[in-house]
Amino acid sequence: MLVWEMQQSVVVTLKVFATLRKKYGFREIEVRCDGTLRGLVEEAAKAVGNPELVYEVFDKDGKPRDDRIIMINGRNLKDLKGRVELKTGDVVAVFPPIAGG
Amino acid sequence: MGKILKVDLSTESIKVEKTSEEVARKYLGGKGYAVYLIYQYLKEYEAKGIAPRDIDPLGPENVLIFATGPATGVAGFPSPGRYHVMAIRSPLTGSIGSANSGGDWGPFLKFAGYDIVIIEGAADRPVYLSIVDGEAEILDASDLWGKNVFDTCRILKKKVGGKNTSVACIGPAGENLVYISCIMNDEHRAAGRTGLGAVMGSKLLKAIVVSGEQKVEVARPDEYKKASKEALEKMRKHPVTGEGLPTYGTAILVNIINNGGLFPYKNWQTAINPDAEAISGETLEKTYLIKRRPCWGCTIACGRVTKVEKGPYQILYSEGPEYESIWALGSATGVKELDAIVKANHYCDEFGMDTISMGSTIAAAMELVERGLIPEEELQGLDLKFGNAAAMVEAVWRTAYKSGFGKYLAMGSKRLCEVFGAPEYSMSVKGLEMPAYDPRGAKGIGIEYATANRGGCHVTGYTISVEVLGVPTKADPLVTENKAQLAIATQNFACVVNSTVNCLFTTFALGAKDYAQLLSAVTGWDLDTEELLRIGERIYNLERVMLNKLGFDGKDDVLPKRLLTEPLPEGPAKGHVVELDVMKEEYYKLRGWVDGRPTPEKLKELEIEL
Ligand code: SF4
Repeated sequence: MLVWEMQQSVVVTLKVFATLRKKYGFREIEVRCDGTLRGLVEEAAKAVGNPELVYEVFDKDGKPRDDRIIMINGRNLKDLKGRVELKTGDVVAVFPPIAGG
Repeated sequence: MGKILKVDLSTESIKVEKTSEEVARKYLGGKGYAVYLIYQYLKEYEAKGIAPRDIDPLGPENVLIFATGPATGVAGFPSPGRYHVMAIRSPLTGSIGSANSGGDWGPFLKFAGYDIVIIEGAADRPVYLSIVDGEAEILDASDLWGKNVFDTCRILKKKVGGKNTSVACIGPAGENLVYISCIMNDEHRAAGRTGLGAVMGSKLLKAIVVSGEQKVEVARPDEYKKASKEALEKMRKHPVTGEGLPTYGTAILVNIINNGGLFPYKNWQTAINPDAEAISGETLEKTYLIKRRPCWGCTIACGRVTKVEKGPYQILYSEGPEYESIWALGSATGVKELDAIVKANHYCDEFGMDTISMGSTIAAAMELVERGLIPEEELQGLDLKFGNAAAMVEAVWRTAYKSGFGKYLAMGSKRLCEVFGAPEYSMSVKGLEMPAYDPRGAKGIGIEYATANRGGCHVTGYTISVEVLGVPTKADPLVTENKAQLAIATQNFACVVNSTVNCLFTTFALGAKDYAQLLSAVTGWDLDTEELLRIGERIYNLERVMLNKLGFDGKDDVLPKRLLTEPLPEGPAKGHVVELDVMKEEYYKLRGWVDGRPTPEKLKELEIEL
């Protein structure tokens, strides 16, 4: 196995919702990445051919955007204390600000 | 201060009283003022030797109150198009009746000259109440009796004419005393919960039409202009009220709540719906949505107009379905055909029924059927299997007319499940069906449902905003710490909003401070955040005192057994139940209650005179 392939060692699904679907033209995509959230989103951005996707999830300082709801296997990133390590089969969901009642 | 219209349908007398500044200062308006008034009735009955428990929810002694608040109909106030309805007792729950609605009716009642309408007694023939430019009349409604909500609204609107004319009415479900019937206005807007349509039906009151051009004044115009501008700007800029809700409406919640493992499926047997995408806001937008329709004066405009072009569920104009309705009629019943949900939602509006209680009651029946607890002869061929769209739609109209098996569904899920010997399958609190969030995956909404005064209700205190949506802050949904406090804070603040009366959705962008500024300018009182929240707490506590008088206390602040003993089988909250006892203990301590009852000290502290 090549070094690059070893680093890109997990396969994760990225799902987007609401306005993001129209903007990026996909609902869900499975990508091979390095197991970091950043890596996942960067690989997905490459796959859909739109680098903007990265800034949909991260702010200028590289932090996950406060005004996005990011869920990993249904758990909000803000509730998951500590570093996120994605595993094969994980599902990451990104929502723009939405609400209802 | 404005005026209160007091109508006794038994004696056909109509009186006008002044809205009391003293009461308004303590209870604002809307729900708060109505709670105060209802408490006075309870006291009066007690003085006459009538015990609160002996008041028949469908007897002439029940009282119905329609109340606007200081913000209703005030242009420039954030989302000021709503009104609140209360009754001493709900036929569904036996506890207080309480519901809230949008549309035009609230503001137009004010333009017709009144803040509040009180309905006492019962008519001896079908009547409607006409309130036009200050003049009120009780008129014959025999030709309207039997008509659906849309026809009733259209006929009366045309008859009265005028620009600001609006109709609140009941459909066949209210006439037929269906316990889950509601009061509808402006065709598709519902004061949905606790069966108030049946209370109106029991009084033979078909409708209240309001019309007028009277101006609503604000006390400090310059200050108001500034406060209004600031608040509306905040709403416009806020991602939820400025973009999320206007673009997608409430149905957009389907996917996120399902993703969080909180979206009850098949009568709450699990909380992940494998077909959520098919009934989601995104799918609705692509298929049946045609445009938006706001309530009066609202800048958010979350209301949806829909159309199903062809097929068995064709409907050329409808409104909704909202998130809660999609969940109840779709996910709770396991139905994944969105057009069938649109149609069932339409029937609920047409006949005047609460979509949440309707869907949940059908779902409960489906579980009873699945478990073989309903004899076939009772079902009369209605194939109530989970996922059967046609049977779900048929069940809705059968309920409105109490036709066939519909006579059982018309009782609501609690009585239905009791009749068939399995009360544990009614997913209700205090007899009111719970809405679309499974508290096993969001603990705060669990203590909220259990302690909500009107029963299983999410808008009594919307903790989901914090637990799932992260607005204005984020809390972990799977922990119990601080959830009692969160439930109390949201319950008290919701009392302020429902007494203001404006839309709860403004609270995604605005806090108590914004409300204090706006309300001070409108009323001319100097309200600060602390006083406002104290008013909210006062309202909640007085309402609780009434519940106590009606026989409800700590033993009723509970959740269905399923949520306490059956762990969620899958998803992010897999293995979780609701740890209600720990949260409840903390809740009572923080509230200053003992076993669901406010202590005399607490009442004194809140200046509640009994
Ligand atoms: S936000 Fe929606 S429900 Fe609330 S007042 Fe506006 S249109 Fe009506």
